[in-house]
Amino acid sequence: MVKRILIGLLALIVLGVLGTFALAWRPAIAPIDRPAASSFPADLVARGEVLAGAGNCASCHSAPDGQAYAGGLGLDSGFGIIYSTNITPDPDTGIGHWSAAAFVRAMHSGVARDGAQLLPAFPYTHFTQVTDDDLKALYAFLMTRTPVKAEEKTNTLPFPLNIRALQAGWKLLFFRKGVFQPTAGKSEEWNRGAYLSEGLGHCAGCHTPRNALGGEKTRAEYAGSTIDGWLAPALTSANPAPLPWTQDDLYAYLRSGVAPLHGAAAGSMFDVVHHGLAKLPDADIHAIAVYFVDRNGSAALADNKSALLVKTIAFAHRDTGDEATDAGAHLYQVACGSCHYNNSELPLPARPELALSSTLTGPDPSNLIHVMLEGIGRDERMPGVYMPGFAKGLSDADVVTLASYLRRSHSEQPAWADLSGAVASARGIKHQDKGNP
Amino acid sequence: MSRLDKLQGDAMLASLMSRRGFLIAATGTGVTLAFLRPGFAASDAAAVPVEQAFEPTIWYQIDRDGIVTVNITRAEMGQHVGTALARIVADELEANWDSVRIKHVDTDPKWGIMVTGGSWSVWQSFPYLSQAGAAGRIALIEEGAKLLGVSKTACSARNGMVVAGNKSISYADIVRKGKLARTFTADELKALPLKPAADRRLIGVPTQAIDIPSKTTGAARYGLDAEVAGMVYARPKLPPTRYGCSVTSIDDAEAKSVKGYIKSIALDDPSGTVPGWVVVFADSFYAADRAAEKVKVVWTTGAAAKISEKDILDHGVKLIEDLKTGSMVVNDDGVDQIFSSAKTTLERSYTTSTVLHFQLEPVNALAFENNGIWEIHTGNQWQSLILPTLAKALGVGEDKVVLRTYLLGGGFGRRLNGDYSVPAALASKALGKPVKLVFTRADDARFDSPRSPSVQRLWMAFDENKKVVGMEHHATAGWPTQVMIPVFMPKGKNGEPYDPFAISGADHWYTVGAHRVRAISNDLANDTFRPGWLRSVGPGWTNWALESFIDEAAHFAGVDPVAFRLGLLDAQGKNAGSAPSAVGGALRQANVVKRAAEKAGWGGQLPKDTGLGIATTFGQERDMPTWSACVARVKVDRSTGVVKLEKLTLVVDAGTIVHPDGALAQCEGAALWGASMALHEGTEFVNGQVRDTNLNSYTPLRIRDVPELDIEFIPSSEAPVGLGEPATTVVGPAIANAIFAAVGARLRHLPIRPDAVLKALKPA
Amino acid sequence: MTGFTLNGKPVSVDVADDTPLLWVVRDTIGFKGTKFGCGIGMCGACTVHLDGRAVRSCITPVNAVAGASVVTIEGLDPQGQHPLQKAWVATQTPQCGYCQSGQIMQAATLLKDYPNPSDADIDAVMNGNLCRCMAYARIRKAIKLAAAEMRGASA
Ligand code: FES
Ligand code: FES
Repeated sequence: MVKRILIGLLALIVLGVLGTFALAWRPAIAPIDRPAASSFPADLVARGEVLAGAGNCASCHSAPDGQAYAGGLGLDSGFGIIYSTNITPDPDTGIGHWSAAAFVRAMHSGVARDGAQLLPAFPYTHFTQVTDDDLKALYAFLMTRTPVKAEEKTNTLPFPLNIRALQAGWKLLFFRKGVFQPTAGKSEEWNRGAYLSEGLGHCAGCHTPRNALGGEKTRAEYAGSTIDGWLAPALTSANPAPLPWTQDDLYAYLRSGVAPLHGAAAGSMFDVVHHGLAKLPDADIHAIAVYFVDRNGSAALADNKSALLVKTIAFAHRDTGDEATDAGAHLYQVACGSCHYNNSELPLPARPELALSSTLTGPDPSNLIHVMLEGIGRDERMPGVYMPGFAKGLSDADVVTLASYLRRSHSEQPAWADLSGAVASARGIKHQDKGNP
Repeated sequence: MSRLDKLQGDAMLASLMSRRGFLIAATGTGVTLAFLRPGFAASDAAAVPVEQAFEPTIWYQIDRDGIVTVNITRAEMGQHVGTALARIVADELEANWDSVRIKHVDTDPKWGIMVTGGSWSVWQSFPYLSQAGAAGRIALIEEGAKLLGVSKTACSARNGMVVAGNKSISYADIVRKGKLARTFTADELKALPLKPAADRRLIGVPTQAIDIPSKTTGAARYGLDAEVAGMVYARPKLPPTRYGCSVTSIDDAEAKSVKGYIKSIALDDPSGTVPGWVVVFADSFYAADRAAEKVKVVWTTGAAAKISEKDILDHGVKLIEDLKTGSMVVNDDGVDQIFSSAKTTLERSYTTSTVLHFQLEPVNALAFENNGIWEIHTGNQWQSLILPTLAKALGVGEDKVVLRTYLLGGGFGRRLNGDYSVPAALASKALGKPVKLVFTRADDARFDSPRSPSVQRLWMAFDENKKVVGMEHHATAGWPTQVMIPVFMPKGKNGEPYDPFAISGADHWYTVGAHRVRAISNDLANDTFRPGWLRSVGPGWTNWALESFIDEAAHFAGVDPVAFRLGLLDAQGKNAGSAPSAVGGALRQANVVKRAAEKAGWGGQLPKDTGLGIATTFGQERDMPTWSACVARVKVDRSTGVVKLEKLTLVVDAGTIVHPDGALAQCEGAALWGASMALHEGTEFVNGQVRDTNLNSYTPLRIRDVPELDIEFIPSSEAPVGLGEPATTVVGPAIANAIFAAVGARLRHLPIRPDAVLKALKPA
Repeated sequence: MTGFTLNGKPVSVDVADDTPLLWVVRDTIGFKGTKFGCGIGMCGACTVHLDGRAVRSCITPVNAVAGASVVTIEGLDPQGQHPLQKAWVATQTPQCGYCQSGQIMQAATLLKDYPNPSDADIDAVMNGNLCRCMAYARIRKAIKLAAAEMRGASA
């Protein structure tokens, strides 16, 4: 890891010295007067709204207490805090002066209207695939929002990463410009799903691990990654879900936030489903489902699903020993069982079956720990299922005990390494021997 | 549950029965029927100034609709005591049960001593409540006869009516139309005809408890539910140890960010109950709770902050080995000679861990001053004990403090010690406002008066025929009575005082030849925490040691444990028993042992690693024996050491059973408490504090751990005795004895943990 | 201000967002039947229904129930005559009674999911509800009695 960082940095420095400024230079695109909202046809704006949902733009471009699209949300890049920008049409602090061409260039090339390089926290690496047509609709939508005056916050990136021109070097390494091209031999639906997922949806932004410089590891596409302390699971055949995702499962999950045999969208995925994808028509959600069920190869496993279900549930419901010798079993029985117990092969929808949850089968315990501590809000689930957080009643040691019990009793996966480290970081405690490079 | 109150109760009883007369007189809404205040010797009811005469002990009223309201001075904490007591009155009164109501009263000197514990309520109240009922019946018959125009000898009372042939009149009509006024002298009272047991219509007959319906609808009101206008909430911040801490500084800067936070005050406590306490006030409990987390207090601490469970137990061993300490509770002649001349002797030691009360409602109290009277609204088992302490803390006379009693969300002895009301009163005084002080669960656990850890050593001497000829039982633990009310400790044979509640049970009914029982106060325990009375108190550990030891002795002597016990329960000499409550003596204990063994299939075939174990007890006190026996069936997993409790068979002879279903419920609860303390709970002191303060690590028995229960009462018309506790004390030793029977592992520490079982399985 | 429905009536409270529903229901609104035992979700004394299912109100912040329907023991049945309540009286289950509101509310969810519960079902679902008086044998009996009545009623 360290070696790769050094090589990367070296490359950057060399590039920086030799030609960064030449490479980085882009002309400004002339400012325009903010177009009147009425100049955009209503149906174009409506289409843009759907696309903004698909891109989940609001999620990054809105601060928790701020106005939608006014920016100001801090993202921890691992190098420093990067604040999202104001993309309302405010002329001074937003994109009011941006022409459609400037907007398209930003989306396709990661260059601001004034010619400055944009940081890759803005996923132009994906947006480059979006068609001009769609971008115009998106532009129409954004330009018809209420302008909000919101000064840009200053990023806390350290030198030399704060030199925008250096981004040009980064692009050389990690950015391939080009609009989405359909894959021959795949259905139209598949290609629609791919277009949405790879382009505006930028699913890989969370589900693909990143290298030391923050670029997506193309060779580990969709291998799973960590985002905001949550695990974005692998969307490949390495997906940890105990049961294969069928197209129907995935559709249900992306549409409603819940797949009865898998679980609920929580953490950042909650926003994606309930605030982003919610705007998309059913057909698009189906298309995304088709695309990923193909990518992760679970379609092939679907036949086996009922047998697997029986096996998984039977495994989880076997006698796991006595609470007298197992503090984890005891905690489960006093804190979890009332809601999670199922007696049948087919779990009741209102009793989330832990054996089917990828929080227990994933390579990393963070999602489980998050849910144990923070619970699951009512809106994250089907009506009537709510889980309170147990942050108050479970000590860190209890969380470790309970999490390892659940892993042991409800999955056939090996024990997690460094559970206590994961608990500490979920609690936001600085943990000394965390083993960071 | 101190000797004091038992003694006071006895004294009260004696005075009621011997010196006082009984008066029936019209009052505002009906008639009141009550014992007379001492010194009153009225012969003409009409001439008696009612208010003055009734003050001391009002028992019940009948209103114009015939509703009989029985005043209850005992706390309701799950034993349905009001139902049992009211039925004693109503049976003799021949009242219609549907017209009977109960009323829990507040503290007032007129109620006499108020304590609910020791399983005494029914036992103590039975004689005088019966007389009160009978007196009412006689008066109603006399007045009813007049109204019916017949002779009183032609009348009888039944179900709220006075009946003469085909004529009858209801109690309501008698109260409305008649002139009920009657006095009974003490002698007349004594001569009143009480119903023979065979004629009882309510006592011993199944019924539903009056308090239960409101406990299913949310209507029942507990201490936590008490409110008064203008009150603020508070949460205590407890010092590191129970004693010896004082506040050095309070920093509430961070707490100020909590909306609703008022302030934090270090309590000044002249009663010494809560040294080093800080109370955090806010306008809601949640704000007080959050603010308390943010208030930083620095304390100076005392020596207890370095004391842990092992120190207390080690100190206990030292005390036991120092023969100069302690009080000789039983000391027959010739014990030492018997032991020195015995053919063989057996010596064993037993220990128990600290146990928390963990009553489900954390302690709490609402306190405020109302026209010069301090009102304390809370659930409490022993108002008379805490009143003087409250008065001292507040700097007022005892007549200026009143406790208003609420339902108890569990008692189990925790609320005999009303210490939690003191900081509430002090907090209200300090703030000048009504204060509701609520303890969090962890606060409650840390401020508990837990059951002390104990150390015991027992010896038995055998002659050449393996016949038992001598026995010694030495026990040490923290002494609740010494700490909370030391003047009421009786003196042992060597003149040293002892806490009867820390040793009772050791003075058993077995005939063992020369017998010695020595009780030693563990001063290190007493200095580290405040030992408490916990359901059955001393027998919780004495009977653990005694019944484990008797089992070991049986095996040592090569005799079946049931046969061995029956052989010793021969009712000879001091074990013959006597009236009023111990008629039959050890024979009744032998009977329950036999019956329990029989019911449980003693001696039959059992699956592998499964065993039966027996234990028995007479309850707490020799003058109020509740003869109990238990057979436990366990299955032991040899690979994990886990003990699965499969079944408990209990047989109890408690004399007359007033409220059978309530009695059964008490035994069910007590037996499961015993199982819980044997296998599931228990904590330990670490640096002056209990280690476990909430349910993440304190693990009382839950529904999935409940074994099959088979409980039987021996039919009896003997004096009724207590039921709340005895079943607790037989279960632990029965389980240990069953483990031995199942796999040959002998456990000598409570609670029994799987690793200890594993260790006992592998011979060292 | 957080608004929700409590026992069928709209309520709105002005308390800190993270205030546990338990204290809001008890102290702010005044329904005292819901009890406080552990404060950490492990005794069940505080169990209420949130959108028809049992939850521990002591660890449920009030802002989590915005717009939801909350039912306490007082609202389970207008007359206090829910089959569970009747069964609780018939079997004389409560001792001190302090845990029983929570037991009944949890049992209601159990019977919704499993109208004819086995002992194992009862143990697993009710194990989170501590009864310190240890009235467990009767709780089990009462649940079965109520289940039978409810099945009869719905058949
Ligand atoms: S008080 Fe809520 S579960 Fe104990
Ligand atoms: S009845 Fe007392 S805690 Fe359950």
